[in-house]
Amino acid sequence: MMAGKNGKVKVAFFDFACCEGCQLTVIDSLQTHLDLLEAVEIVNFREASSEQRQDYQIAFIEGSITRKQDEERLRRIREQADILVALGACAHTAGINALKNLKPLDEVRRYVYGEHADWYDTYPARPVSAVVQVDAFIPGCPIDREEFVEVVKALLVGKKPPIPDYPVCVECKLKGNVCVFHVGKVCMGPVTRAGCGAICPTYGDGCEGCRGIIPNPNENAMEEVLDEAGLTLDEIMDRFTMFNAYRELEAEE
Amino acid sequence: MRLRILPKEEVPRMVQALMEDYRVVGPKAKGPKFVFEPIVDPAEMRLDYNITILPPKVALQPPQERVAKIDLEGEVPQTDPLIEAEPTVIFGAHTCDIHALRLLDRAFAADYPDNHYLKRRQETLIISLECLEPCDEHSFCKDMGTLTADEGYDLHLTDIGDAYTVHIGTEAGEALLERCANTRAATDDDVRRLNEVLSAKWPRFTHRLNFDAAELPALLATAYEHPIWAELGERCLSCGSCTNVCPTCYCFNMLDTVSLTLKEALRIRRWDSCQLDEFARVAGGENFREARAARQRHRFFRKGKWLRERFDTTGCVGCGRCIRACLVNINIVEVFNTIHGSA
Repeated sequence: MMAGKNGKVKVAFFDFACCEGCQLTVIDSLQTHLDLLEAVEIVNFREASSEQRQDYQIAFIEGSITRKQDEERLRRIREQADILVALGACAHTAGINALKNLKPLDEVRRYVYGEHADWYDTYPARPVSAVVQVDAFIPGCPIDREEFVEVVKALLVGKKPPIPDYPVCVECKLKGNVCVFHVGKVCMGPVTRAGCGAICPTYGDGCEGCRGIIPNPNENAMEEVLDEAGLTLDEIMDRFTMFNAYRELEAEE
Repeated sequence: MRLRILPKEEVPRMVQALMEDYRVVGPKAKGPKFVFEPIVDPAEMRLDYNITILPPKVALQPPQERVAKIDLEGEVPQTDPLIEAEPTVIFGAHTCDIHALRLLDRAFAADYPDNHYLKRRQETLIISLECLEPCDEHSFCKDMGTLTADEGYDLHLTDIGDAYTVHIGTEAGEALLERCANTRAATDDDVRRLNEVLSAKWPRFTHRLNFDAAELPALLATAYEHPIWAELGERCLSCGSCTNVCPTCYCFNMLDTVSLTLKEALRIRRWDSCQLDEFARVAGGENFREARAARQRHRFFRKGKWLRERFDTTGCVGCGRCIRACLVNINIVEVFNTIHGSA
């Protein structure tokens, strides 16, 4: 990747349908990892800077794609960027935005915008990868700041970012945590992608699956585990669709 | 064999004295369970624990460790090993875990001696604890011959009521005891009490395997194509919990992480699991154990056959941790009994 005259790679941040919490985590990581600003030059980051240059090499995209005009903007970013990274659950898996995909679109629009529903254009939420090619992704709601820094470093040296493909249970066990199933709670950890340091179970809560489902999950076995833990069929579906509705709906088609 | 007597009220003072010179890793409560962790206050040591989530191997092969520092500034990267070892006492390990450490000692000394493990092992003293009753219904230590230990410890404690008998296993253990604990010589009455306690414990442990564990390698040799592997493959979540809690599992992965300045890097070693989807993927993309069934079979063959054949000690110590950790109730005792029943 070509660095700028100052030897730094130019990066930009853009957002679509999201809460901007992942960008906030990025800003937070700039304060704890001061070397980040030595390693890269941020040329476009609405949430953190008034600079708005278009000569970036790495583009980080937060948010889901929910409107036709989003696609046009996203394609322009893709054309400019050497590397495009989906930042956070909304961009990576469509996250909780895709919950609306479970209901008829008209109903959702009326529920949110009331009598002015016609004023706002929207369609079922999609991850960034449904519109353009994504070169790397950083899972989570929000992202893990250490993982963000690791991904930046990997991109700078031209390596595949070290995003785990194993489940949260691995990190949870390595921490010696008490399994939350053993204290009467439920957890999506066995099928959810690790990398968060099992933060929710570490603090006694079950995993919500915000980092997306691992490749090749045993979903039947997971459903049985949740069933044995006392969940109804609807509650099991809720667990699978909280952050992963887009995936579930794709699987149905 | 030399026997000393450690009155129970002396234990906190002993732990305190050990903490002056050593990292003391012992059983502590964690919610409703127990863990082996560095002891900060002697009062938190729970020698009445049943079983810990992770075995005491965490003190010798930590879940994650730094193994090398790499300087990237020169023309050729310069790698310097990092060996993070400190004087350690493992306090209160049950005998199943002592048997497991013997296997790890052999595994890490074989082929390419692992200086990271071996240096830590060299700096570690082990004070083990005789079990007087099963941890719970999942223990099958009696079947695996790990209900007691004749070696593998520096000191070995047995609860005889108001005191522990201390078997001295090594000279280092003896020196440690002299330096850090107020003990007295054992009387005939102490020896009588010890014998009573040891005789009383045996009937409390039941056999759960329907056959002699010595038959396991021969039994498994006939079971490579057994239908049970496909059935386990259907049930298994591939979460890796069974191997991550196992005291005889020692597989790891290596990863390098560069600094943001790109001038230096750290090589990290982390526990890995043969149950994970990507464990057996190699360069070029081939995955040699893509099916969950094949990965499950691999685990049971390691535990029942291959480790024993390779290291001449049991590959499964009957602690039952994998059974407790498994959310889909895969039970190693049931698996071995099923295979035996259909042989």
